[in-house]
Amino acid sequence: MLLDIEKHVTPEHSRSHLRFPFRLERPAAKLNIRFSYTPKVLEEDAVARRLMEISIERYIEPERQKAALENLERYLPLQNLITVSVDDADGYRGACHRHDPAQQLYLSENGASPGLIGGRIGVGDWAVTLSVHSVVTESCACRLEVWVSGEEGFE
Amino acid sequence: MKWVASELHTHTAHSDGKQTLPELARGAKKLGYDCIALTDHNTMSGLADKEAVERETGLAILPGMEWTTFYGHMVTVGLRAFVDWRQAEPDNIRAGLTEIHRHGGVAGLAHPFRIGSPACTGCYWEFEVEDWNEFDYIEVWSTTFAPIRPDNRRAYALWTDRLNAGDRIAATSGRDWHEQKATDDPLSVTYLGIEDEQAPLAEQALLALRAGRVAVTLGPLLTLEIRSGATGRTYGIGAVVPAAADEGVSASCTALVSLQFSVREGLWELPPQSYRLAIWSNKGVVAERRIEATDDATYSLDIDAGDTTWTRAELWGVVKGIYTLIAFTNAIYFA
Repeated sequence: MLLDIEKHVTPEHSRSHLRFPFRLERPAAKLNIRFSYTPKVLEEDAVARRLMEISIERYIEPERQKAALENLERYLPLQNLITVSVDDADGYRGACHRHDPAQQLYLSENGASPGLIGGRIGVGDWAVTLSVHSVVTESCACRLEVWVSGEEGFE
Repeated sequence: MKWVASELHTHTAHSDGKQTLPELARGAKKLGYDCIALTDHNTMSGLADKEAVERETGLAILPGMEWTTFYGHMVTVGLRAFVDWRQAEPDNIRAGLTEIHRHGGVAGLAHPFRIGSPACTGCYWEFEVEDWNEFDYIEVWSTTFAPIRPDNRRAYALWTDRLNAGDRIAATSGRDWHEQKATDDPLSVTYLGIEDEQAPLAEQALLALRAGRVAVTLGPLLTLEIRSGATGRTYGIGAVVPAAADEGVSASCTALVSLQFSVREGLWELPPQSYRLAIWSNKGVVAERRIEATDDATYSLDIDAGDTTWTRAELWGVVKGIYTLIAFTNAIYFA
């Protein structure tokens, strides 16, 4: 296992990147990433409403705020959003900007999960970055595992 | 000038879309588009089979990526290389913009007034902007039935404010198209003005976007030229009318507004009506008239161009029972 990380993030982590570097000592056929976080949804209705009231006050023009508050349900349920991106020694290997709270991803010489860029799984410094767009729950448990499988040329 | 129907904001399953690039391209072709930009969130991996899809559909596909940052979404189009969106902070978007331009791309604010965090972190534009001229465009019409949406009205007003402040910046539409789902809502089309029809379309479309040769509509194609009383020449959308040596002569100009109702025939519908055609400038509405839905008609409206810094045409009328802006041209500037 190249990375096996358990991390709790809170609303304080919103709008920040968590970068997890690792080093690949030998070329491999396939790099595997398993990422999950829980909970996905903010269940406490009163908390969600309070957060949306603040948001409406901040982002909606004063004359439309009343109407927006009356239609606040359209924004619910509020959700946590954390996305994955990958870098190798030569640069960016893509991102998976989607809402799934559990993702099994891979990169290999001949392919990759949608969002990621296939190509050589080469020796050197790699990193998985978790971009914490939004944490609305009091706490959110993240798990990130990275491992390689197969020798280069044999998937 | 050939005007190419384009959709500049799209997603596939390479980010959070629910469609493949072939599905997107076939859907776009069916709706009468000739050009799309694929602008997945923070990745360009969806472009791997671009050439094959272009061959199959005959559509031009512009490479793009939507910078999906914590402080704003920025659509980028035409880049030859990746520029790292993760460096973006509230006070440094200018650095990213410089890199995007260095790699041959253009950039625009996406849906700048869509509600932000926590409903949609980064959807509302919160980056500090030092110089609006450095942005190529503002996506003033987002999603479907765009002109009636309050957040789009704010974006349109922002664009007008920037033009009034002397900035030269284009305005586009973008569906933010995530899936092939039928809708009864009117769709927006961004028409890009192509100068060289022999050259590759994708390359020419990018030049048009950069130069602001852009017209946006829910249906008919509305274009504008200014015939300068001083030089006797005409200037198209995105161009700059030169200042005349003799100021008394330069003040008389003619706005030549053209309307084509036969574009994308059968793919949009407006109720029978007479429309309001208006010429706007930094001085407000400077000319207007009623017109009928006559195809391929050109209307001449005299305008006093004294103290004018920019001008655009707008078409107003009733859509689905609502009186609204139906089409607008980008600006023609005055030196």
